[in-house]
Amino acid sequence: MAGAIIENMSTKKLVIVGVILLLFQAFSFMVGGLIAPSPTTAVHYLATKCVDSVRHHQSNKWFMPWGPNQCDKIRDLEEAMSRKIEANNIVFAVHIPLPNKEMSPWFQFMLVILQFDIAFKMYNQIEDGAMATIDVGLAYRDDTLSEWTEMAHSIEQRKLSCNFTTSKTYENEGRYYECDLLPFMELGSVAHKYYLLNIRLPVSERKKVNVGIGEVKDIRLVGIHQNGGFTKVWFAMKTFLTPSILIIMVWYWRRITLMTRPPVLLEKVIFALGMCMTFINIPVEWFSVGFNWTWMLLFGDIRQGIFYAMLLSFWIIFCGEHLMDEMKRNHFSVYWKQVGPIVFGSFCLFIFDMCERCGLNTHRHTHTHTAVHGLFLTCCFSTRGVQLKNPFYSIWASDVGTELAMAFIIVAGICACLYFLFLCFMVFQVFRNISGKRSCLPAMTKARRLIYEGLIFRFKFLMLVTLTCAAMTVIFFIISQVNEGHWHWGDYTVQVNSAFFTGIYGMWNLYVFAIMFLYAPSHKRYGEQQSSGDAGASGEDVQLTTTITHVDGPTELYKMTGKEAQE
Amino acid sequence: MFSETFLRMIYLGCFLLFFGLTHSIPSYPIWWSLAVGHQYSSLGSQPILCGSIPGLVPKQLRFCRNYVEIMPSVAEGVKIGIQECQHQFRGRRWNCTTINDKAIFGPVLDKATRESAFVHAIASAGVAFAVTRSCAEGSATICGCDTRHKGPPGEGWKWGGCSEDVEFGSMVSREFADARENRPDARSAMNRHNNEAGRTSLNDNMFLKCKCHGLSGSCEVKTCWWSQPDFRVIGDYMKDKYDSASEMVVEKHKESRGWVETLRPRYTFFKPPTERDLVYYESSPNFCEPNPETGSFGTRDRACNLTSHGIDGCDLLCCGRGHNTRTEKRKEKCHCIFHWCCYVSCQECVRVYDVHTCK
Repeated sequence: MAGAIIENMSTKKLVIVGVILLLFQAFSFMVGGLIAPSPTTAVHYLATKCVDSVRHHQSNKWFMPWGPNQCDKIRDLEEAMSRKIEANNIVFAVHIPLPNKEMSPWFQFMLVILQFDIAFKMYNQIEDGAMATIDVGLAYRDDTLSEWTEMAHSIEQRKLSCNFTTSKTYENEGRYYECDLLPFMELGSVAHKYYLLNIRLPVSERKKVNVGIGEVKDIRLVGIHQNGGFTKVWFAMKTFLTPSILIIMVWYWRRITLMTRPPVLLEKVIFALGMCMTFINIPVEWFSVGFNWTWMLLFGDIRQGIFYAMLLSFWIIFCGEHLMDEMKRNHFSVYWKQVGPIVFGSFCLFIFDMCERCGLNTHRHTHTHTAVHGLFLTCCFSTRGVQLKNPFYSIWASDVGTELAMAFIIVAGICACLYFLFLCFMVFQVFRNISGKRSCLPAMTKARRLIYEGLIFRFKFLMLVTLTCAAMTVIFFIISQVNEGHWHWGDYTVQVNSAFFTGIYGMWNLYVFAIMFLYAPSHKRYGEQQSSGDAGASGEDVQLTTTITHVDGPTELYKMTGKEAQE
Repeated sequence: MFSETFLRMIYLGCFLLFFGLTHSIPSYPIWWSLAVGHQYSSLGSQPILCGSIPGLVPKQLRFCRNYVEIMPSVAEGVKIGIQECQHQFRGRRWNCTTINDKAIFGPVLDKATRESAFVHAIASAGVAFAVTRSCAEGSATICGCDTRHKGPPGEGWKWGGCSEDVEFGSMVSREFADARENRPDARSAMNRHNNEAGRTSLNDNMFLKCKCHGLSGSCEVKTCWWSQPDFRVIGDYMKDKYDSASEMVVEKHKESRGWVETLRPRYTFFKPPTERDLVYYESSPNFCEPNPETGSFGTRDRACNLTSHGIDGCDLLCCGRGHNTRTEKRKEKCHCIFHWCCYVSCQECVRVYDVHTCK
């Protein structure tokens, strides 16, 4: 790995490369900020209260909140009270989207969040740990005239966590509880134009179903989906980035194979990083526009996860290979201690993600054991292959699921902490060694000094670039988070969130691109070396150049300085 | 309320007399009658006839005809505004009573008082609130996605979603409720200000809710949206604004279009009113004695709270006239078991109450 392009490049050329990369970086920010709309949209839906006057348990009867075949509506529940309508005959109907609009596959996914408006009544308060049992049906159709086709039907339970902020007195009757948002539904692809949700809150005194949930006045839903414009810009970006990274990968690997020695670990890791980047870049999402692939969300997460794991491993290995101590590394197995937490943490997140994104009814399992078993084995890979079976499933809805999810996240968090401790320690070690080497540099032979200087420069350059990229990511993340609070007033000009996504995505692509380009082995060096250096050291130098991990430690150095002193 | 009908007749008579004498548009919007009485109850069943709504100026009539589908929610908005007014003022000398379909509040709101300021603000906030709500229900097709986006309809929505319904609600309230307040007089200026104060308060009380849905549910991708608060919160807020309303004086300026009246704070040592504050320039009657001219019903026979030292206490509410006390047996529902909807099983209990009413 010694003799990378970056060491042999003139400052002028390096500056030119830097400026070109910066221009691309600015461009990627601008694409998101100026062309793309905001990444996602949230749409409010207020459920219309329909009356199911003749309920014969017909599952094919769907209630439309508006339009030509709209249902028999009631304005509020007092009206239901006076008309003596039973709870089981009230259907909350929500049509997605709102009138005169249609959904599109470009929306990629749809999350629906549930919110109850529960009024406080002195004698009808929400009981502790109340569970709302929701009988929900989802149907779709692709034109406004055809019949609704059932997509899913389920009876779900959601835990109400509501609190009443003012004092519980008669005075405050009629005020609403403040309830947490409940996850309700998740669709991995938006293949149809119109969706219809019919929700019932069946009451059964005997089975203690929906008893003590307070006075539910309204059901609100919030539908979140990715904006079509953002999807298009995103796809375009991916389509453009894929060949760029592919080309540089091919070029990089050709350079390595041209050399006489086998590739060293660091070179392999850089290549693997490029592969992961390409994997994430390949715009397979284009297919989601044509096909109803519900596993796209999960697949996207997996690709992202693999890339992050690779990037983290790369940093560790890069530090390790620049440690400049006696230890011989150049073997992946040396890094198990550092890479282990990454792999384990990623695995935990993977399992969590599988279970979150896939429809698996954990709450049906009563025993924790069965639930765990179910989670691990039957998760996604059920009878219909990888298929989102129950869009209403949420890992957060059941207690066991919540605990498991939290456990996974905590384990992943611990792994992340461990990793950063390791990384910081390694970086510290490298810097300590660098300062140690610095003092000895003038005493070394020219060739050896060049190698060390090259090593130090390479390391410092990467440190600088990595820190800049990480800082940029963090800063833009914070900006985009803070900015959310103001977009209501903000004008249409710059979409900070989209700029964040495209800019950061572009940045890490450029990062990988720059590493592959600048850290590719240079061919220039070998020619130079033969003419420089004294005969005594040159044999050693050839060995040194083949792999940095074979750089001799301090003992060798002392020997050399000693030798020179003797001379 | 033993002689309610009798009193009503007196007031109605006085009101008509007053109306007939001045020959001008009344100072408060007659179209609010949409929200009271039979007009409101027929909203659901019959389509709205814009021509039959009393007191619409041409601009409002045009608006009504163009957007007839959102008129029910406009009416609903005024209704919830009035209900909120009655809740907030339930224990006070003036308790936001509505008289009937035609006179609505009676002459009370003819004067540019605090009460007028409050009612205008809460009604305009109510309209914005209800329109936003009905947009979420999908009962109107013109909400949200405005026509600013170029291209065929629906393309704007597919590209970048729609603007928030909240803005649309405020827009409707502004277009419709403020349409008649374009005269150059002081009252129009006051109504405009208070209407806007109501809407601004609604916007200020919106709260942001967010959902993280990035990689493994992380906040890498976060979507936020503005939610409308419970209307009671708006009521509380407006009530505070009522208590701290700014008194103004009327100033006349000569402008190219004639005399224009503007409002200026009366007391320079107080902070000038912001756009959220209510303004008024005439003092309120004390509402103690019935007075057909001011629209005061008096507080006679109003129930008061013996233990309270506040405005709903017998001392203050009865304006020092004292109170009568009688015991009353009431049959009440008790030991109720509530079911989520529409069904309450109760026992009947008899309780004895001391009822205090003003002399």
